[in-house]
Amino acid sequence: MTARDRILSAIRATLGPGKPPERIAAEAAALLEDPDAARPRLAAPELPEAFALKAAALGTTIDCIATLAEVPRAMARYLDAHGLPPRFAMQPVPELAALDWQGLAPHPAVAADEPAALGLALYGIAESGSLVIHSGPQNPILLSFLPLHHVVLLREATLLPYLEDYAARLAAQAIPRNAILITGPSGTTDIEGSYVRGAHGPGFLHVILIAG
Amino acid sequence: MTGEPKPTVGLFVTCLVDAIRPQIGFAALQLLEEAGCVVEVPQAQTCCGQPALNSGDDRDAAHLARQTIAAFEGYDHVVLPSGSCAATMVHGYPELLAGDPDWAARARAMAAKTHEITSFLHDVMGFMPRGRRCDASATYHDSCSGLRELGVAAQPRALLTQVEGLEMRGLPGNDACCGFGGTFCVKYSAISNAIVTEKAEAVESTGADILLAGDLGCLMNMAGKLHRRGAKTRCFHTVEVLAGRAQGPAIGEDAP
Amino acid sequence: MNAPFKAPFKAPFKARAAAALADPVLKTAIDRTTGNAERKRAAALAAFPEFEAARARGQAIKDHVIAHLGHYLEMFERNATARGAQVHWAGDDAEARAIVTRICLAADARLVTRAKSMLGEEIGLPHALADAGIERVETDLAEHIIQLAGEAPSHIIWPAMHRTREQVAELFKTGHQPPPAAEDPATMVQSARRVLREKFLSADIGISGANFLVADTGATCTVTNEGNAELTTTPPRIHIVTAGIEKLVPSTAHALALLRLLVRSATGGEMTQYTTFHAGPKRPGDADGPEEMHIVLVDNGRTKMLADEFREMLRCIRCGACMNHCVVYRQIGGHAYGGTYPGPMGSVLTPVLDGLAASRDLPNACTMNGRCAEVCPVGIPIPTLLRAWRRRSWREGLEPGPVRAGIGLWAQLARRPRLYRLATRIGLPALRLFGKGGWISRLPLAGGWTDHRDLPRPAARSFMDQYRAQQKARK
Repeated sequence: MTARDRILSAIRATLGPGKPPERIAAEAAALLEDPDAARPRLAAPELPEAFALKAAALGTTIDCIATLAEVPRAMARYLDAHGLPPRFAMQPVPELAALDWQGLAPHPAVAADEPAALGLALYGIAESGSLVIHSGPQNPILLSFLPLHHVVLLREATLLPYLEDYAARLAAQAIPRNAILITGPSGTTDIEGSYVRGAHGPGFLHVILIAG
Repeated sequence: MTGEPKPTVGLFVTCLVDAIRPQIGFAALQLLEEAGCVVEVPQAQTCCGQPALNSGDDRDAAHLARQTIAAFEGYDHVVLPSGSCAATMVHGYPELLAGDPDWAARARAMAAKTHEITSFLHDVMGFMPRGRRCDASATYHDSCSGLRELGVAAQPRALLTQVEGLEMRGLPGNDACCGFGGTFCVKYSAISNAIVTEKAEAVESTGADILLAGDLGCLMNMAGKLHRRGAKTRCFHTVEVLAGRAQGPAIGEDAP
Repeated sequence: MNAPFKAPFKAPFKARAAAALADPVLKTAIDRTTGNAERKRAAALAAFPEFEAARARGQAIKDHVIAHLGHYLEMFERNATARGAQVHWAGDDAEARAIVTRICLAADARLVTRAKSMLGEEIGLPHALADAGIERVETDLAEHIIQLAGEAPSHIIWPAMHRTREQVAELFKTGHQPPPAAEDPATMVQSARRVLREKFLSADIGISGANFLVADTGATCTVTNEGNAELTTTPPRIHIVTAGIEKLVPSTAHALALLRLLVRSATGGEMTQYTTFHAGPKRPGDADGPEEMHIVLVDNGRTKMLADEFREMLRCIRCGACMNHCVVYRQIGGHAYGGTYPGPMGSVLTPVLDGLAASRDLPNACTMNGRCAEVCPVGIPIPTLLRAWRRRSWREGLEPGPVRAGIGLWAQLARRPRLYRLATRIGLPALRLFGKGGWISRLPLAGGWTDHRDLPRPAARSFMDQYRAQQKARK
């Protein structure tokens, strides 16, 4: 008998024959009914404000702009403010490549000690101030983890109220290899509970929130 | 009380009160009578069985459970000046006797009418002590079983507000265990000592004259540690203050 | 299921506890971390009035999965396989170690990075890798610290919480080349970042645990605040997940509902910084990711727990709140417990993993104050489960002779009220002879009490005798 058979038959011996899968699925769905009863309220009635409040509380900085075309200027502002060079890694997506980067020098590959990187969030979650990224051909996961400064573009239209809303979106699409909820910069409290940023991932998380 | 018959109460004083500090039993008796109960103290009581229950000796614990149920089930209410012994009857007995067809229902019925004394006085009898005075500052430790298994927290505090002259002070870590734990305190005495040392430090930090609690086991542990440390804090069971019996010697000051 | 690598903990529990109690540095370290955790959790709950409802729901989700465990395991296996992951099953720790080692050797792996996983500790993975001659680099900062110290975790959330910053500085001085420039936490964290960054990118295999196994997608979920899990699992060629079979949840939404409870209970935060679902290896065209993903589903006593009175323990989501709020843990720390899992949850689990005979002290060394159950985010009745172990220990004759004799003698008396009265009538005056004033400060056979505290002198006459006399006088 394989370990698999032993484990499954031990479970069957204890629990008996299972219910029909549809019944189990219905029970599982019922456990999530009336989600409002068991989740926190949003920090503000409007999603962008609620998101911003939660994100800021975790040390994420936010810059609000009107359109995608303003991204290069917003990026330049951020790099400047932190004394960073104009070179940075950028997610290889056409809509970013098409922008007029003027004096800035984005490049597609992310280096081991990349000072800064710019990427695009698929969604934002207002409840927790989280950014969602999915892996894919145009989305290297390491772009979000290797740089010291992680700058993320987020469109207001992609803001979702609650974690459940994201779970529903995920369930409705092809499951990516990695789905990641990023909630604030990397941090640790492993030495005497004192909070230090930039443990392994980015020490700085900056969101450029695009209204249009 | 008009017309309605007075409720009968079987008072279980607990083995520790019986042996160490009978005054707590008399204070309980007095308060129950003041609250309008007809109180009896069945002679067949010894110990609720908790030491056996917590040691894993279910046979002896079940025997004591049956003995106690037989002695007390005839009363309208069973009342104890101890949250932990009351919790043993409320939760432990039904669990112990669940598989016993003759006793399971009796254990549940008894559990349903068993109460820790301050919650009984406050919640069931709607009683408030009158004309009590105690010119002192006091702090209150929430004994764990009463607090978590029976929800005893607001009742003793509400009753204590009726005592004139008594200044209540908050105890840092009031809901943290004192390290008594029944047989734990002797089986693992070094760990227990470390815990009660912190508790004693917290009590001393309040500067209160008096330490109050609702369980003599915890009180003996804390009073014994405070005394060993040379602290001047005096320790009483809550009902002693409520019954106006805190003028005399505190725990350990003299054996009454 | 005894893991041979647990050799460092040979001393009996009481000796380990005594050593811990005598270590003031340890106490300082424990107080700093658990005190902070307790305060932050309380604040997080105060900001989430729906917590009680969320807890009831979390408990119901876990109970649902446990009740249909076979169904969900097969569903998970099917979906994970469909995403290209290879699913392995391990009945015990030895099988799990063998599977992981085999994968590593087959891949000719020289360097393995690992993201903290208590299951990995439970199955003895660190030592198995060492035995196979594979370099293992722990990437969680705390695990990195204890790897340098050659220690086991002392807490399931903060494995290095027994170490002060001064002690960490000592370890980094020799463990980092070059050593950190200063001893403050920020500088030391930067130093670890630099040292570990090279390892992340040159590892052959990354090993992680899983906080959740999502049945309907076949994804495993890791949560970290450091970002080390993603750096562990993305660059290497192979990602191995080791996870207990109780980690299943029906869907992503169920996982996220439990995550709300987990984070608040563990650290007092609202959300982990990095919550990552891993569904299979790199897809065609993906910019990065491992070429192979292996998932090892580990039983190691869990189906046994399912079958007996410890089933509720399978709800555990490993938040550590029970230990942060335990008066015993806060005095002796994690190592004194001697098992993989310390504190109240460990006192339930260790007898399952290491056998009751070797661990009977753990369920006994508890005051039954109930705080662990009060703070448990999935409503595990820990004291009830500890009492179940005590019952078993009593039944199997594992309790020490003097304890059995003492309880037995006392019970014989208590079962005979008249004899009991007689005994108090004789015993109380006799006991009083040991007292001076109102106190007894030394009492033969009661050193457990009087070594540390005074005993109030008993009454001359018991309550029952006084009461009976009063009743007679009234008549």
